[in-house]
Amino acid sequence: MTSFTLIEKIIRNRTDVSDGEIYPNNIVWVNLDLVTARDYAGPQVIDLFQKNYTGSKTFNNEKIIFTPDCYPYGNDPKHAKDQEKIRVFAKEHGIKVTDLGSGIGSHLLFRRGFSKPGDIVIGADSHYNILGALGILGQGAGDVMLAFALKTGKSWIKIPETVKVILKGDYEWPTTAKDLALYVLKELHEYGITGKAVEFYGEIIDKLSIEERVTLCSLITEASGVIGFVPDDKITTDYYSEIGIEIEMISADEDARYVSELVLDIQDLGQYIACPPHPHNVKKIEEVIGTPINSIVIGSCTNGSSADIHDVAKILKGHKINPDVRFGIVPATREDFVSINLNGDMTIILESGGNFFGAGCSTCAKGQYGLTGGETAVTLTTGNRNTQGKIGPADVYLASPVVAAATAIEGKIAAPKEVVKR
Amino acid sequence: MSKKTIKAKAKLVIVDDVDTDQIFHQSLLTIHDPNEIKPHIFGNLEGYKSFGKEDNVGKILVVGKNFGKGSTRQQAVTGFIAHGITAIVGESFGPIYYSNSVNSGLLLVEVPGISEFNVKEDDDLEIDITQSLIINQNNGETINCVKIPQPVLDIIEAGGLLKLGEIM
Repeated sequence: MTSFTLIEKIIRNRTDVSDGEIYPNNIVWVNLDLVTARDYAGPQVIDLFQKNYTGSKTFNNEKIIFTPDCYPYGNDPKHAKDQEKIRVFAKEHGIKVTDLGSGIGSHLLFRRGFSKPGDIVIGADSHYNILGALGILGQGAGDVMLAFALKTGKSWIKIPETVKVILKGDYEWPTTAKDLALYVLKELHEYGITGKAVEFYGEIIDKLSIEERVTLCSLITEASGVIGFVPDDKITTDYYSEIGIEIEMISADEDARYVSELVLDIQDLGQYIACPPHPHNVKKIEEVIGTPINSIVIGSCTNGSSADIHDVAKILKGHKINPDVRFGIVPATREDFVSINLNGDMTIILESGGNFFGAGCSTCAKGQYGLTGGETAVTLTTGNRNTQGKIGPADVYLASPVVAAATAIEGKIAAPKEVVKR
Repeated sequence: MSKKTIKAKAKLVIVDDVDTDQIFHQSLLTIHDPNEIKPHIFGNLEGYKSFGKEDNVGKILVVGKNFGKGSTRQQAVTGFIAHGITAIVGESFGPIYYSNSVNSGLLLVEVPGISEFNVKEDDDLEIDITQSLIINQNNGETINCVKIPQPVLDIIEAGGLLKLGEIM
């Protein structure tokens, strides 16, 4: 009998072709469990659908969700019209829309149980592969693929080769999952995983929460990988049972064929930061300590959860944010907003001088938080992309929530330990 | 694909890790008309900001490694179609960019080791799809490309994925 990697197994369960067709680099059609679109791209998907398939119904209105998360507040007449177009189309076809301020679609998919391990889901978001953290094959797709999928419920995928990545060792606070994710990005970019999938193994995985796993998997896109998977385990099943969903765990076969195996030593991993002009330009924090920063944003699908905001609150408690720093927080979802209200983190951060914005994609899409300023506005975010010019004309650094909080107090890049000691 | 070979002049943009934000910036995301997208192509890529105004109709774009990494934005493909680009040839492509291009009917050709291939601006290139080969007619050099999968050729032949959807 043939053996399969995790992604091969998921694809095999969702395709009509025989097992013999399931091998790396072969292209197969898959049946989708869920198709989503958001306010960015969603209106164009609707236009393409109506233009090409006039009068058609969607393949299954219960397997489609619109998740406005890029510019849900409609702070520009064009954005407001886009919001309207989505709502009118959704109503006509009986499609669910996650309401204003619900937050990032990819997070809502697991927060609200819209998708579960083994599913194949596509949406207009290149970080849909964060869902690999829960054993879901999430993939970003463009307007054309999505319009086609609304009609047919299908998409095609080039089955990727899989790299088995074993994380060896353990680390301690203030090193967090973001430092791990940045270090892994640096190594995998150098190694070369363009068009490949990754499966993560190692004892550290047993200690990572769902949020930390999402952070780890969120930077695979920045190395041009297809997806990073954390195989389902008790943490995954417990998570789903808490939201009332029974899941069937899915794992790779023991003798699955990997293109290569990579062991990364993460024992006593320090703290890392992505420097301009690319996410993969990852350096040890010591190399950039003291760099002046005057704009900080906590948010994104990488680090916008209540657990991330809690890390920020722990460090800011009893401190004031440096008056030279604009400090914004964009929680990932409404659920995260509720959590930080209940546990008092929101008050702590407001008293420190921080500012909250409605849940959503933060700086990753213009139209919500907006760009970060002029040539002198050097930014540090907890996000996942610092491409030159993307979120502002000046330099952008990517770091963990704890580094961001310590930096907010100092007004320059700082390691948390130094700040907490005082 | 009915066409077995593609012949066109080369336009070089040999930069590694070109992100979709460098091809078509996120501040322009509400623009969807191909003719309006066209002038903004490479508007955020240092050294190539004038591309949007140039005439590169019919040319083969030669790029580097991980071209089109980043977001799912379709405009980063649409813009090259609006420019009349015939095909994009590069070391490797972001996986979403690859599918977006194929779905729109724009052929991408993966060429491992393209940095070793001797090609200058406006050289006459020939892509031999059957032989998986690229030939520089100006100096006679050849290089192998990754075999273009049949389903990809079928989608391009159909005129893009949306056409296939009409009969599915």
